[in-house]
Amino acid sequence: MKISIQINASPYQYQAADTAWHFIQAAIAKGHKVYRIFFYHDGVYNAYRDSRPPGDERDIVKRWSGLQLEHDVDLVVCVSSAQRRGLLEQSVALKVGGYEQALSDGFRIAGLGLLMEAVIESDRHITFGA
Amino acid sequence: MKTLFFIINKSLQGNVCGQEFLDMALMAAAFDQKVVLLFEGEGVNALVKNQCPDGLQLKNIVPVLNALPIYDINDVLVEEESMTMWGLVEEELEISVHALSRRAIKDQLNLADHVFSF
Repeated sequence: MKISIQINASPYQYQAADTAWHFIQAAIAKGHKVYRIFFYHDGVYNAYRDSRPPGDERDIVKRWSGLQLEHDVDLVVCVSSAQRRGLLEQSVALKVGGYEQALSDGFRIAGLGLLMEAVIESDRHITFGA
Repeated sequence: MKTLFFIINKSLQGNVCGQEFLDMALMAAAFDQKVVLLFEGEGVNALVKNQCPDGLQLKNIVPVLNALPIYDINDVLVEEESMTMWGLVEEELEISVHALSRRAIKDQLNLADHVFSF
């Protein structure tokens, strides 16, 4: 089954990012294809390169980057949500004078069109976080 | 074409999520999907006439509501029980809606391919 995921909540404060992660692990283990993960609203905080949790805690951002590397899952961050929260793509940051290295490896920034395309293409679309 | 249900059950003005949620519905319509908007619970207040969110420096969603037919979004449902709970009648709403009972809405929901809420 082709599955797409939407994450609306910030990591660490809510369990949404963790629940989504475990769901995705289980889905991949069962042979399903995760077509895309779309980070919306406060979900964009999952993509901040410089997040530094204490060493004995799970590193949620690194976990997403690893997922992309290992399973080639498309990690897309909503551009308007991201820009509202100070997360800029390198090319935009260079243009407007913002921080250029904000986005962690494996993520890309794009518009809502990619969310809709994922919804249309997938058999299931599952949202985590209110 | 898929049928996508968007449930608005919170105030649209409380945070930016409401606005971003409507953006999703409009984007779905722009992708030629069948979009159904359902206002229930506290969300029915989003439709009330004479709103002035300018004082909060928030965007007014009324122009978006009025533009829904341009996006081919013609299915705007409100839950009758929620209208009663908030003491509202259809004449007090900004746009024309289909008022349905909770039971009838449940039947409609079963026809949806995907359901979104925020």
